[in-house]
Amino acid sequence: MSAPVPARPVEFRNASIGATVAVLRETRPHLVADALHKMLGGMPDFFNGEATLLDFGELGEAPAQIDWAGMLSLFKRFQLQPIGVRNLPPELATSARQAGLAVLDGAELRDRQSGGPAIDSVAVRQTPDEPTPPQPVPEASPAPIPAPTATMIVDRPVRSGQQVYARGGDLVLLAGMSNGAEVIADGSIHCYGPLRGRALAGAQGDTRARIISTNFGPEIVSIAGVYKTFEQGIPANIAGKPATVRLGGDDNQHKLGIEPLALD
Amino acid sequence: MTRVVVITSGKGGVGKTTTSAAFASGLALRGFKTAVIDFDVGLRNLDLIMGCERRVVYDFVNVINGEARLNQALIKDKNCENLFVLPASQTRDKDALTEEGVEKVIKELEHLGFDYVVCDSPAGIERGAVMALTFADEAIVTTTPEVSSVRDSDRILGILQSKSRRAAEGREPVKEHLLLTRYSPKRVDEGEMLSYKDVQELLRVPLIGVIPESESVLHASNQGTPAIHLKGTDVSEAYTDVVARFLGEDRPLRFVNYDKPGLIKRLFGGK
Ligand SMILES: Nc1ncnc2c1ncn2[C@@H]1O[C@H](COP(=O)(O)OP(=O)(O)OP(=O)(O)O)[C@@H](O)[C@H]1O
Ligand SMILES: [Mg+2]
Repeated sequence: MSAPVPARPVEFRNASIGATVAVLRETRPHLVADALHKMLGGMPDFFNGEATLLDFGELGEAPAQIDWAGMLSLFKRFQLQPIGVRNLPPELATSARQAGLAVLDGAELRDRQSGGPAIDSVAVRQTPDEPTPPQPVPEASPAPIPAPTATMIVDRPVRSGQQVYARGGDLVLLAGMSNGAEVIADGSIHCYGPLRGRALAGAQGDTRARIISTNFGPEIVSIAGVYKTFEQGIPANIAGKPATVRLGGDDNQHKLGIEPLALD
Repeated sequence: MTRVVVITSGKGGVGKTTTSAAFASGLALRGFKTAVIDFDVGLRNLDLIMGCERRVVYDFVNVINGEARLNQALIKDKNCENLFVLPASQTRDKDALTEEGVEKVIKELEHLGFDYVVCDSPAGIERGAVMALTFADEAIVTTTPEVSSVRDSDRILGILQSKSRRAAEGREPVKEHLLLTRYSPKRVDEGEMLSYKDVQELLRVPLIGVIPESESVLHASNQGTPAIHLKGTDVSEAYTDVVARFLGEDRPLRFVNYDKPGLIKRLFGGK
C-alpha cells in the first residue's frame, strides 16, 4: 500500500527567523527528491547551504516513521542545511532529536506568511548535533590533560550564504559578518565588526559559551541551543553597539541575556 | 601581465553590461589593450551595447569548442583602436562554458598581449556567473541602492572569495571594488533608497564610484555606443572617474548630492 503523492510535495517559504522554511507535505525521501529536482534541476546551487527549518504543519496523514538520515542527506545534496523541525507530530519528535534536529514548537515560532502573532524571543533547547552512540566502558586512563582549544580566526567578512563552523573551540571574526551568513562555534564567538547574520555559540551544548560583538545586529543568536530572534528589532541600547550574549540572563538558565559591553 | 576584471552583481538588471562596456572603453581610451567578454550565454547583450551586433560571426563558445580561432572571434571596437569584444553565443546552452575552456581563452588573451580582460557576468549565482569570476584578479561589484541588490552583492562577494582561482589556490584574494549604479540623489534624499554610505557600510568594500541614474544610458544603448563616449553627460564623467580611480588616481566623488530646488524655483517653477 502506498499513500498518494501530494500535488506539491515540498514548498519553500521565507521565515522571519533568518532560516528558510521547507513546508513538507510528503516525507518519503525519494518523492521529496523528485519534487526538489523538478523545482531546482537546473540550479543545484540555488540555496548555497542555507539553514532550513522543516515544517510538517501541512502534512496530510502522519507517517509511522520518517527516514531522517535519508531526508538530511537529500537536503544536503540540494545545498540546504536542515537545523530543526516544527509542527511535527509529537510521536516523531524523539527520532528527529536523535537525528540532530532541533524540535521547535510550532505555536511559538511562526513565519510572517502564516500571519501568526509576532514573537520577539523564542527559547528552544537543541539537542547536541550527533546522536550519542553507546559509550564503551573507558579503560583506566591517566588524569586528563585539558586539550588545547582550537581557536578559529577569520580575517575576511563572512558573507550572505556562507557558513563558518569552529569545531571544538572559539571563533574570532576580524571583519564581521553579513545578514544571511551563519557562524557556529562549539565555544564562544568573538566578533570585531558587525554581527549581522545567525550566530550560534556553544553548539555542542556548552552553556558557558558567549557571543561578544563590537557592533551588535544579528538575525538570530543561540547559546547551547537556546535561541533568540529579533523580529521586533534590536533594543536601542545595544543595536549597532558593543554587546555580549550569555545564557542565564534574568537568573533564568533557559533564557539568553544580552547586555551592553563597555569598551575602553 | 594581464589583469582580469569581472563586472558582477548577483542581481539582474543593475547595470553590469552598461558598466562592462563603459569601463572597458575607458581603459582602452587610456591606452590599454583591452578585451571585453560577454559571459551571458543565451542572452547576448554586450554586442548590442557596443554596437557590433552585425559583425558577430563567431562567438566565445565557438572558440571554446575549437570551432573558431580566438582572433577570428574577437571583434575590433568601432570607437577605440585597442579594444576588442568577444561576444556570447545566443543559442548555446549555458553548460557550454567550461572552466578549462574559459581558462584557455584567457591564457590566449594573455599571450596576445592584452593588458586587461573585462568579464561581463550574467546575473545569478549559477554556473555562468561563477565562470565569469573564476579567473578574476579584481572584481567590480555592481549594486543599485536597494536592499535586494545589496544582499545579492554580498552573496556574490562570498562566492568570489570561495570559488575564484585565487581563493582555491590560496593566493592573494581577488581585489574588490564597489560600484553604485542607477543612483538618484533625489530619491536617496527623500529616503526612498539607500545612500552610498549605507551601502558601503553594509558591504564593507571600498567604493570605486557612483553612477547616477540617467536617460543618457538609454540613448547610449540605442545608439550602440558605450555611455562613456557621450561627452559632457554625468554618466560619461562618472565612468571616466571610475576608470581613473581604478588606475590609482584620486578623484572626489561627484553626482551624489541632491541640490534642493531653491525657493524661487519652487514658487515659479522653471527648469
Ligand atoms: N545609470 C543608469 N541610468 C539609467 N538606466 C540605466 C543605468 N545603468 C543601466 N541602466 C539601464 O538598466 C537596464 C539594465 O542595464 P544592464 O543591461 O547594463 O544591466 P545588467 O546588470 O547587465 O543586466 P543583466 O543582469 O540582465 O545582464 C538597461 O535598460 C539599462 O539601460
Ligand atoms: Mg548584462
